[in-house]
Amino acid sequence: MIRRLVLWLDDRLGAASFARKALRKAFPDHWAFMLGEVALYAYVALLVTGVFLTFFFTASGEDVVYQGSYVPLRGQRMSAAYASVLRLSFDVRAGLVMRQIHHWAALVFVAAIVAHALRVFFTGAFRRPREINWLIGTSLLLLAMAAGFTGYSLPDDLLSGTGIRIAYSVLLSIPVVGTWAAFLFFGGEFPAPVTIGRLLALHIMLIQGLILAALGAHLAIIWHQKHTQFRAPGRTENTVVGSPLWPNYAMKSVGLGLAVIAVLAALGGLFQINPVWLYGPYIPTTVSSPAQPDWYIGWLEGALRLMPNWELRGFGHAVPEPFFPGVFLPGVLIAIFALWPFIEQRVTGDRAVHHFLDRARDAPRRSGVGAGALTFIVLLTLAGSNDVIARFFGVPVETVTVILRGVALIAPPVAGWVTYVVCRELRAAEGRPAGAWHALRRGAGGGYLTEDEKG
Amino acid sequence: MRPGERSIAVMLVLSIGGSLALTAVYAAGGQPQLEGILLAVALGALGAAIIAWALRLLPHEAVTDVREPEPSPAEIRAAATTAFARGEEQLTGRRTLGRLLLGALAGLALVALFPIRSLGPRPGRSMFHTEWQPGSFLVDGAGRRVRDGELAVGSVITVFPDGYVGSPVSQTLLIRVEPDQLRLPAGRGGWAPKGYVAFSKICTHAGCPVGLYRAAAHQLLCPCHQSTFDVLRGAAPIFGPTTRALPQLPLRIDADGYLRATGDFSAPVGPGFWELSS
Amino acid sequence: MRRRRPAAAAAALVVMAVVVIAARSRAQTPASTPPSSVSAPASPLSTDQRRGADLYALHCASCHGVTGQGTADGIPLRGIGAAAVNFALSTGRMPLADPHQPMVRRLTTWTRPQIDAVVAFVTSLAPGGPPIPAVHPEGGDLARGEQLFAANCAPCHGTAGQGAAVGEGADAPDLYDASALEIAEAVRIGPNPMPRFDAGVIDQHELDSLVRYAVSLRAPADPGGLSLGHLGPVAEGFIAWLVGFGGLVVIIRLIGTTT
Repeated sequence: MIRRLVLWLDDRLGAASFARKALRKAFPDHWAFMLGEVALYAYVALLVTGVFLTFFFTASGEDVVYQGSYVPLRGQRMSAAYASVLRLSFDVRAGLVMRQIHHWAALVFVAAIVAHALRVFFTGAFRRPREINWLIGTSLLLLAMAAGFTGYSLPDDLLSGTGIRIAYSVLLSIPVVGTWAAFLFFGGEFPAPVTIGRLLALHIMLIQGLILAALGAHLAIIWHQKHTQFRAPGRTENTVVGSPLWPNYAMKSVGLGLAVIAVLAALGGLFQINPVWLYGPYIPTTVSSPAQPDWYIGWLEGALRLMPNWELRGFGHAVPEPFFPGVFLPGVLIAIFALWPFIEQRVTGDRAVHHFLDRARDAPRRSGVGAGALTFIVLLTLAGSNDVIARFFGVPVETVTVILRGVALIAPPVAGWVTYVVCRELRAAEGRPAGAWHALRRGAGGGYLTEDEKG
Repeated sequence: MRPGERSIAVMLVLSIGGSLALTAVYAAGGQPQLEGILLAVALGALGAAIIAWALRLLPHEAVTDVREPEPSPAEIRAAATTAFARGEEQLTGRRTLGRLLLGALAGLALVALFPIRSLGPRPGRSMFHTEWQPGSFLVDGAGRRVRDGELAVGSVITVFPDGYVGSPVSQTLLIRVEPDQLRLPAGRGGWAPKGYVAFSKICTHAGCPVGLYRAAAHQLLCPCHQSTFDVLRGAAPIFGPTTRALPQLPLRIDADGYLRATGDFSAPVGPGFWELSS
Repeated sequence: MRRRRPAAAAAALVVMAVVVIAARSRAQTPASTPPSSVSAPASPLSTDQRRGADLYALHCASCHGVTGQGTADGIPLRGIGAAAVNFALSTGRMPLADPHQPMVRRLTTWTRPQIDAVVAFVTSLAPGGPPIPAVHPEGGDLARGEQLFAANCAPCHGTAGQGAAVGEGADAPDLYDASALEIAEAVRIGPNPMPRFDAGVIDQHELDSLVRYAVSLRAPADPGGLSLGHLGPVAEGFIAWLVGFGGLVVIIRLIGTTT
């Protein structure tokens, strides 16, 4: 049956020669190479649950009176968007669990992307010839964050409305064009009734279109360039060793996909997430405490909280406080992250092709920079929950803020330097070409040489 | 059953059981926790079975692919550049047409701005005003006019101009303090009769409602980024990321004892923006 | 005390806290044999007021002054009203073993008659202040209560009544241990650092509605599963990383190799 299908396809597309190679394609089996796959399958869960949610969501800021089954809100005025999320949560069978799986999938999706990016960074997998895929991957991370933030904003509850309010203010703070940008993006002065509809269009169409395009390119390039791998006996720079796509890798990957969605389903069933009915409808004149965004926006929120009160004024104009932590700082950090392959090439002068991965110790400077930057982002994320931390430890929130301000400046360079020294020492302790396996490569004459020998 | 197959069979049966149980739960009206767990069982057991199948029953076979070097062979590279250069030659040399072509593209870029312009209204002066007018009555969230005597010292209430209940831009905190404790900035004498003092509720940092009032310390705190304002000193910022005080609303008490505004706020409300002069 | 913290590892802390609370509450047990004489106010006292005067002299007078005039260690209590005294004593906020202790809810061994006696005594010192409010949550409207709670309480106590830090070390406590009457009293008196809400701001029916909603938050339905302490995105982020992503790392570690 399947054979007949394959032959039918080959008659029309000439697919047999592609299939012959593709089915025997080698996929390295290191566990850390599956982090991106986890993100991919979380995205599948997001698409499936997201389509379901879209069928029930009303993207409208129009005032309605709630008459659903959640008693404490019955008879209250609220946006049609919020009312539709309540209906989905309480009056649609399996609606709540689908909503919760969607939200958990979003949190895990971004987490897996971040972990995957860290793996690629610390192993130097972004080096030539993979710079383009690093840039695409960076775009995917940013798009995932944008998808997450727009999704978090859709229910129009008190917490998410506060998030939109802050996003509006950050956009407003941009010099020269900020006021226009905020008015055009949100459809007028906050709170504009059209905002929710726009966020939905971005969330389900524009951003998903871009993610799907970037994801397709990301995977096609990996397919074409073949995977990187760690050094091991019998491996060379110009070969790649692993399980064949069919059936071993396909089985493992499908199994992993099912396991990822199973974990998300378990989270969605067991742990309550974003109980918007407790938050209540968004009312521009009130706010709740504590007020946090989802974790991947935490570093931006933390930067806003830690920033001392600086504002530039003069010549009849102002550059307000949120610009520096909310636009300038993330802009610089994201630019450095995106351009890292080229920065590293410039610094080290290493423009050679690399298919073997580094271990963290193999590139102490890169590992040091990465550890420092990671420390900084983690501290900013913690600062985003400074009031929760303060309450947990029974310390004034102002004290937490002041301490974190200092730590955020001191700890990253310290962590970077310690990482650098540890990596250097580890490498030195291995001695020169430690295991014989460590540095074999195939010379021009076909024989095997150690890396020190010139082939 | 062959060795190694039994545990996989158990997992597959578990998956089938999970699916059937989920069907039953759904048919019975649904229950979120059971739905999530049973879905996890149905998917997870199937996934585990497939993974175990791959790891235990399939032969461990390592295949080796040879990488093709990224740069194409030299003659192909040369042919590609030549092909491009030939086309380029055919296109260049017609200077006027080339310039007009650029002009046409620039025109289209200009046209592309119009839909963007349609996305929102012109900011204009709306950012500088609220709905507060000289003589506006202060009303609470239910639209009741606020009268002297209804608010004890240490109380706080959110008020709006009469006719604009719930207004996001005009939302105002009315606080009552001991009059002799007030240290308002110069020029605001008489703005806070009998200790009634009113400030914009919109944080001057990122626009959250400044909802937390520590009555004994006379401090307002914004829960979003912890900007803190000293009510007695005209809501001047004392901690956190903001630089600007909450704008104050001048008040008077009329002959009938009603609280009324004598004008708009002392400054534009809400977070800063480019056109805001200090 | 903050209940419903998500971290299960806090169990040890809880045990410690219980020990501390037990020790504190012992310290707050009113002495069974109060001294017989106090410098009582001029007006004749009822029996209740006399018992109250004795307890006051023993537990309150050193900070608040023998006639409630206040000292450097304690605010004046003359004219503070019945609600404030009843609230402070019934929630264990008062008396403090040491005036520098924070004024937070503690287990108290004071009995209802003892509290009533002190309330009677303090209110006899001078008139004024909010009386003990009448509260009938069952007569309140849940939806109106939710609105009032969101507007007036959630900014500090959180949308689920879970409590929050409100700056300078001040804590808006969770509302899970507070009785309906205590919540109503807090609304009317504004125990430091909370603002007060008089009948002109929140009328009797609104108070009943508000209290009804606040009490309902003690045991919300939480149809989504474990509540994670109602801490919102902070707790959710931890679960996403530790349970969700962590679990998946275990799985890929089982599938994958290490070379």
